[in-house]
Amino acid sequence: MVVLRILFLRVLWALITLFAVSFIIFTAIEILPGDIAARVLGRYATEEMKAEFRRMRGLDRPMLVRYGEWLSGVVRGDFGDSLVSEFNVGEVVLPKLRNTLLLALYAFILYIPFSIILGSLSAVFREGVLDTVLSSLTLIGLSIPEFVMGTLLAFIFGVVLGAFPVVVAINVARSFGEAVQMMTLPAVTLAIAMAVYAIRMLRDNLIEVLESDYVRMAILKGVPMYLVVLRHALPNALVPALNVTALNLAYLIGGVVVVEKVFAFPGIGTQLIDSVFLRDAPVVEACALIISAVYIVANLFADVMTILLNPRLRTAK
Amino acid sequence: MDVRQPDNPLIEIRDLTVEYWQGERWNPVIEGLHLHINPAETLGLVGESGCGKSTTANALLGYRPRGARYRSGQVLFAGQDLLRLSNRALQRIRGRQISLVPQNPTTALSPGIHVGDQIVEVLMVHRYSKTVREARERTLDLLARVGLPNPPVIYKRYPHQLSGGQQQRVIIAMALACDPQLIVLDEPTTGLDVTTQAQILDLLMDLQGSYGLAMLYVTHNLGVVAQICTRIGVMYAGQLVEVAPRHVIFKQPLHPYTQGLIASVPRITAPKQVRSLLLKGLLKRGELPAGCPFAPRCDFAQERCFAEKQHLTQVSDQHAVACWRWQEIPSFAQRIAETQSAVFQKCETAGCKAGEILLKVDNLRAAYTLEHRRPFARPLPRVVVDGVSFDIQPGETFALVGESGSGKSTIARALNGFIPYVTGELRFDGKYDLTIPVDKRARDLLRALQLVFQNPDASLNPRQRISHIIGRPLQVFFGLSGAALRQRVEALLEDVRLDRSYYNRYPDELSGGERQRVAIARALAAEPKLMLCDEVLSALDVSVQANIIELLADLQAKRNLAYLFISHDLAVVRSLAHRVGVLYWGCLCEVGTTEEVFTPPFHPYTYLLLSAVPEADPDQVMPEARKDIGLIVSEEKPACPFALRCPWRDPAHCHDEPPPWQTLSRSHMLRCHIPIEELRQHDIWADRFRRA
Repeated sequence: MVVLRILFLRVLWALITLFAVSFIIFTAIEILPGDIAARVLGRYATEEMKAEFRRMRGLDRPMLVRYGEWLSGVVRGDFGDSLVSEFNVGEVVLPKLRNTLLLALYAFILYIPFSIILGSLSAVFREGVLDTVLSSLTLIGLSIPEFVMGTLLAFIFGVVLGAFPVVVAINVARSFGEAVQMMTLPAVTLAIAMAVYAIRMLRDNLIEVLESDYVRMAILKGVPMYLVVLRHALPNALVPALNVTALNLAYLIGGVVVVEKVFAFPGIGTQLIDSVFLRDAPVVEACALIISAVYIVANLFADVMTILLNPRLRTAK
Repeated sequence: MDVRQPDNPLIEIRDLTVEYWQGERWNPVIEGLHLHINPAETLGLVGESGCGKSTTANALLGYRPRGARYRSGQVLFAGQDLLRLSNRALQRIRGRQISLVPQNPTTALSPGIHVGDQIVEVLMVHRYSKTVREARERTLDLLARVGLPNPPVIYKRYPHQLSGGQQQRVIIAMALACDPQLIVLDEPTTGLDVTTQAQILDLLMDLQGSYGLAMLYVTHNLGVVAQICTRIGVMYAGQLVEVAPRHVIFKQPLHPYTQGLIASVPRITAPKQVRSLLLKGLLKRGELPAGCPFAPRCDFAQERCFAEKQHLTQVSDQHAVACWRWQEIPSFAQRIAETQSAVFQKCETAGCKAGEILLKVDNLRAAYTLEHRRPFARPLPRVVVDGVSFDIQPGETFALVGESGSGKSTIARALNGFIPYVTGELRFDGKYDLTIPVDKRARDLLRALQLVFQNPDASLNPRQRISHIIGRPLQVFFGLSGAALRQRVEALLEDVRLDRSYYNRYPDELSGGERQRVAIARALAAEPKLMLCDEVLSALDVSVQANIIELLADLQAKRNLAYLFISHDLAVVRSLAHRVGVLYWGCLCEVGTTEEVFTPPFHPYTYLLLSAVPEADPDQVMPEARKDIGLIVSEEKPACPFALRCPWRDPAHCHDEPPPWQTLSRSHMLRCHIPIEELRQHDIWADRFRRA
């Protein structure tokens, strides 16, 4: 029952963290320079007009009061109205979130087998040709920023080969197939960006496990090598790689900002950048909170998986 | 069972040379090894660490570890050379015809798979069982066969849910799964408690008889081979120096190395060691002569020894030795008889004034953690050491013995102030209270109480030079610096018999025994009154062990130093300690002088421990009568902690009434309900010689 207690504590901590994060986000946006009234009303607005705008939107009240109001709304699922468009934040953000989640899912589906297969091959045939080539490639991948990678892929596969669209107008996709085709380039970019970490991590973990006594024992029991890797080595090498995957998962949602921008993808990252530019506080807050929540949930997920994959923890009483 | 036909061995190693890549070149670990194993025999392979025994075991499985290469030779099994088979062909042999029992069962089982399924895996990959169902049934049979209670429950356990002994039984079941012809056992009981080791040996002896199975038993423990092997090979520096049936090896060893090795083993029945026969120096792999590798350490070496390679020569039907002077060297019995006067003696405590007490431990209770018995109730400490009392006089060695988990190390840690929950009276040197934690202790107390750990690899900082390691306590406690510091460090190196040239070296340039000497020198630097030695000899080879025992005794005589010596090795304890406390489940059950504890009457637990020790003498067969069920830990601790396991327990009161301390002499007490007269009848020494 240790497991249940650990889980309960982890969830509790996740909620407390989320609460703290919400406060930090709100305060940070509060002290951000720039005036929403000036942005919305334009260059020729008088001081009276700006004051009136602030009063109407309730921006003249103390910060803590507004934080309390906002938080109570958030708990009920209401993030308030956009200061710019006057739509409800949910209406603005949800479609973007859906797009981003779709992209993330696609990238994730590419990332998992890609990392596991390449990481395993690299470890099993370590110091061979494949391992050397992969090591160099992942090192290059690590040092190239995603937007360069994205641009490069867009140039090669979009411009030169013309196989995939360079601008991802997902909202005008007519069929599922077309949507997949449109999202391939950004998804591949994201998958590569994540996989380079995971491949190296998995390779190192797996090498360590392959040196372990129980792998040697399995080999000396007469178990064929592919079964040794699949049954005895991989499950134990994946556990530490899970934490990397959790961070990657969070990166997918939060760090896609730049990649979305490269492909003009209408996701939450693009939305966040645009809203920061417009000083649209409620939208920025909503986006930031969602991204933080994803981070926290992803890490929680990794912790839970680590517990479940570790028989020592799983069977503790 | 005598089917020894040298012309028709089960497996044969011919002229094997194995090399390891070390930094910049290939270094030979085994050179020109010839060895054969006959059907149904148990061949023991002994030697000190680094002699190539495990490499030989690997070769028998056709296994090549990373960084190793087989430069020449063959391993012939059923007409095939295992070193030249494809992986696919090897897969069919490994686990099917030749199987392995490795050293550490805890790490050899896959952590995330039920142990039963790991046995099923072997049966299935070799298609020994047709269906998974059949394999499961066979697995349950095997688990029962190796003496595991309740096989269906064990089947569904993960490795970490089993004790070390149970894990090793699972591994043995796995090795037996496909009815192999040969089992390679690589130090299968090293790291297990003596009592567990005895059970595993019982099991193996049982298998020897019933299966017609051949075994190769690789170990550094001469006691074990004396009990279990039919023939024994002695390895030195990658070469076989002597092979003979076990009685011959132990009674008439011919090679000077074998003689020294056997003389180095501490005996539980005859605690005196023959000093002049002990092996001198160390095996230095880099500086081997072209001829006999043992020549630099040999008392009888001549010029020819250094120049000419030695090959195994048959001296009688079953006996071969790799020494051209075997006829000229005095016999083992002769050498022992000649040097009888120079026996090693532990220092006498007569020097200390009667009644003077250095450390007084009264009713010590210690716990690492608090335990929530009931929700909302005040948490109670989870007691590991439960009411232990003893004292140590200046210049005396007091030993604590017991199985792992008995609380030996916890007592040492409690004395050092590393345990968060400690109660009882702990008085040191009359004026210090040892219940206070280490960070609040007076500097003088820290100085007077020093600690030496089991593993010098981990207790010496690999980035500090020896001079710094030994010099640090001198700077801290005595404010020494400059030339005075250097002088003192060099004197300390001399005290632990290390050369001055070690001054500027790093720990990893030293051998295990040398590192332990440095650790001892560091403790000595503080000029302590009491040294806590926690399993300081366990990681060392017998010949190194013998030298360190001698060193510790010498230092004690010179400095009137007291030791609290914690060990699971009863033979070492017998040769070093003045008084012994036997610990079970956090409680002392017997205290007395070494002679008193090691002779009847015994506490039932002491009896169990002593009878489990395999003596390095084939004439002293381990008593058969011990039906030990192994360490039992239950939620509820009975009034006598040993009651659950005691072979002579009386259900009437052992469970519920705390046993009384019975006093046998001024120094000897044991805590048991059974009357002394009855306990006196259990005599393991008589048992052993009777069966021999």
